[in-house]
Amino acid sequence: MQQTLRISGMTCAACAQRIEKVTGKLVGVSESSVNFATEKLTVNFDEKVINYSDIQSAVSKAGYELHIEQSEKQVTIPIEGMTCASCAQRIEKTVSKLNGVSSANVNLATEKATIHYDPSKIRLSQIKSEIIKIGYKPLESIGVDKVDEDKARKQKAIKVLWIKFVVSSVFSIPLFYLAMAPMIKWLSLPVPEFLDPMTFPLVFAFAQIALVIPVLIAGNRFFVVGFKAIWQRSPNMDSLIAMGTTAAVLYSLYATYLISIGTFSAVENMYFETAGVIISLILLGKYLESVSKGKTSEAIKKLMGLAPKTALVIHNGEEVIIPVEEVEVGDVLIVKPGEKIPVDGQITVGYTAIDESMLTGESMPVEKKIGDVVYAASINTNGLIHFKATKVGADTALAQIIKLVEDAQGSKAPIAQMADIVSGYFVPIVFVIATLVAAIWFLSGQTLTFSLSIFIAILVIACPCALGLATPTAIMVGTGKGAENGILIKGGEALETAHKINTIVFDKTGTLTEGKPAVTDIVVVPGYLSEALILQIAASAEKGSEHPLGQAIVRRAEQDKIEFQSIDSFEAIPGHGIKVKINQLSVLLGNQKLIRENNIELKEFEKISDDLADQGKTPMFIAVEGRFAGIIAVADVVKPSSARAIQKLNKMGIQTIMITGDNKKTAAAIAKQVGIDRVLSEVLPQDKASEVKKIQNEGRIVAMVGDGINDAPALVQANVGIAIGSGTDVAMESADIVLMRSDLMEVPTAIQLSKSTIRNIKQNLFWAFAYNVLGIPLAAGALYIFGGPVLNPVFAAAAMSLSSVSVLTNALRLKSFKPYN
Amino acid sequence: MKKLAIVSGVSALVLAGLVGCTQTDVVAKYGISSFNEVVELSDVTADSELNAWSLSAPDGSARFLFSTNFKTTAPHDVMAEIDAQPFIDAGLDVTKLPAGMFIDGMIMVGQALGEQEFSANAQATPEASFKELVKLSRVTLGYHEALAHYGIDLGDGNKFEWAKDLAANDKDIVFVLDPVVFADAGVDVANVSGWVFAKVEVMDASGNKVEVEKLLKPFNLK
Repeated sequence: MQQTLRISGMTCAACAQRIEKVTGKLVGVSESSVNFATEKLTVNFDEKVINYSDIQSAVSKAGYELHIEQSEKQVTIPIEGMTCASCAQRIEKTVSKLNGVSSANVNLATEKATIHYDPSKIRLSQIKSEIIKIGYKPLESIGVDKVDEDKARKQKAIKVLWIKFVVSSVFSIPLFYLAMAPMIKWLSLPVPEFLDPMTFPLVFAFAQIALVIPVLIAGNRFFVVGFKAIWQRSPNMDSLIAMGTTAAVLYSLYATYLISIGTFSAVENMYFETAGVIISLILLGKYLESVSKGKTSEAIKKLMGLAPKTALVIHNGEEVIIPVEEVEVGDVLIVKPGEKIPVDGQITVGYTAIDESMLTGESMPVEKKIGDVVYAASINTNGLIHFKATKVGADTALAQIIKLVEDAQGSKAPIAQMADIVSGYFVPIVFVIATLVAAIWFLSGQTLTFSLSIFIAILVIACPCALGLATPTAIMVGTGKGAENGILIKGGEALETAHKINTIVFDKTGTLTEGKPAVTDIVVVPGYLSEALILQIAASAEKGSEHPLGQAIVRRAEQDKIEFQSIDSFEAIPGHGIKVKINQLSVLLGNQKLIRENNIELKEFEKISDDLADQGKTPMFIAVEGRFAGIIAVADVVKPSSARAIQKLNKMGIQTIMITGDNKKTAAAIAKQVGIDRVLSEVLPQDKASEVKKIQNEGRIVAMVGDGINDAPALVQANVGIAIGSGTDVAMESADIVLMRSDLMEVPTAIQLSKSTIRNIKQNLFWAFAYNVLGIPLAAGALYIFGGPVLNPVFAAAAMSLSSVSVLTNALRLKSFKPYN
Repeated sequence: MKKLAIVSGVSALVLAGLVGCTQTDVVAKYGISSFNEVVELSDVTADSELNAWSLSAPDGSARFLFSTNFKTTAPHDVMAEIDAQPFIDAGLDVTKLPAGMFIDGMIMVGQALGEQEFSANAQATPEASFKELVKLSRVTLGYHEALAHYGIDLGDGNKFEWAKDLAANDKDIVFVLDPVVFADAGVDVANVSGWVFAKVEVMDASGNKVEVEKLLKPFNLK
């Protein structure tokens, strides 16, 4: 089974790698992937061989925490009607006995019951009804909302980091001042006489120790995790911080010892302030990082916050407000104007317009009538409706979208895997470089203090956290931004591949066209029957037809408010059309073959028919009482956005191809309308995938845009499959990107979003690498060789923290991405 | 967080405690003990007239005097008394020296440190008096890192210094004079017999390391 679990305690990409390595090695685990930005572990494992606690203990041994989401829920129900302790006991006993309830605790004083239950075994409404049965009145339950819980957890982590930073700063600032003031004599900064390093060196040293201890405690995590990782021969960013600051502290303690035995000159060799300031700066960096990381997942939070918390349900003829989790499939719900739809369902009463922009990005409200489907979180703008719940909880479209976006944000793009590999090797290499460089300086005659300073600076500046954040943060913001605009990108790989696309194959029906044929022309034989009469006869003949062309005629008649007439007889002639009797009139309606076989002459209408076909329209011929009466042309109308989208794509340098089962003439006509120059016509549904493959064999990177079940194999075959959201579930399942609206302008938008995201990732990786590539030689004393300064470890820490913050800030720039439409 | 607050509070208390603890004043501790070694190797006598202990240079050309009791010592609680003849030979016009600096053929440099009364015990031995002196006027004692010397500030740029480690230093005691006042009084400071005119690295009032010219008269006590 595959499970995604939350991990805490990671500080860099090396941590993520370590967890992947540890869990990946476990017997029974087939695949393990950690996303540093989302702090989630996705693991595939065999439940028969290994269980959660085995994985949890392996992660814990590696120095991190694995949080297993409880399937159990906790709920607090206020209860009315309790008068004494035995009432509370009675409720406790009754509820505890229920199958699926693991514990029930009733507090008489607060009049509340706290219940732990498994929602897969028992519904909350059942628990409440049991309480009612024994004579008490349960009120609206107070559940712990998942979004709020996640938000609270993250906010708590941010708050803890902030407090730690404040505490460490409160001690680091005086520590830094104390250490630096005697060195910056020209500023004549005042230092109390009892802390003068020349007169009272040991007091000076002890004062620094007293100041650095709280800082070390505030940053204790770096030491616990860092040394644990070194011990397990898998050093990470914390290891670098821990090693650097520990070396500074130990050397300073040694200097303190020297002072205590009379070597007062050692007062000049103390680095307590370096350790203190490094920890403070890194804590500041981590704080800013967590704030920025929170912002990267705002899109998903917005989605999760869309659903209403309660629903108005008709129970036994009464309107009852219940928590949305208690709504069951089949419940009839009432939604008033201005309210949000709580779950997915089908309208049973009423007519309204619904704003589905939060799901589709489409700003215009969609008109809905009886039988139409409504989606959770969309807004009922005007009419009052009743609808029957068809999908609740995790099955609603909103929940599916959230899952899709969450999965995408948690997935790794190939470029991220490369960054992970690099950062995995990076830390041990930095250790080696730092040790070698420090040793070389020492052997070349520099003091131990100088060499130590170099050692610390290299370790600190080389922390690869920016490297680890570069890709996942950009993917999170990119996919989130896509979701906000109705573009659901299913994974990092799709996002990455989309930017390389140079060819897009469009399915015709339902993709470039509306997919619903419509009457485009009615041509009548002059002096015989009127246009309205022909339409009335044809629509009456086709009433009840399931053929798309027939349905188009019926829709047009309905639109024109034409009254239907009853049919006396009906005969379907397969491959030709129909033969009906209406008001004693004999009517033939069908293709040219039907007319010819009945020896009816078309005369000049044959040419008109050919012209209509050339325009991609399907002519349907009608003859009344053995005499040709006219042509009704039906065509699948091109979407208004199709031509604009194709033009935009062509401007982007992307070749566009149309694939269809239609004949060459019709296909060419549609292609001409939208501006596509390459057409693959008369392609059987089963051959669409092989056509895509042929294009790929030309060396092109292909995206397939489609909506139907028959497009699914081609969507899978393409490098990136793009499904139109109005299409079938199969197409959406098979696609890598789902466009929630039918607007084809979302195709160039999706590709542009991919390009922007990948460009952002590359910028992030460039900066992350640049910091290290430039920082390490600087820290190693490259400038000093040429008579320049040595990089102080404190500045190294500042640069390191800045690198993470700048990478995150760059990723957040993606939030300003503007869609084309 | 509670733990962090507790540790922070404890750290502050520890700091306060350490500052108050005399054992942490290692300069004073080692300065006094090495001075005691100097006393052991030198001729130290009580000067009842000045109410001071007198530590004489091996050749008798100079002595360092330090108070047995701030309350009774006058005019200086710490003082160097130096034979003026080599300076006169180098051109010293004694009338140009500040008042009280030349008395009976001797040059006197020093300063008053306080008015506190020493206990009887503190007056009993040179070591006890010196310890009390440092205790009551801690800033007078310093450490000269460049020479690994402790020093008692005699005021006006003059000092009496002794080696931190007598065994490792051939300049066990050094009388240090500021040459400016002598140069102003006509002395050819580079040619004072028995004295070395040299540039020495010292700390200025702001604690900066600076190189200054000094007249030095070192002695090896061993």
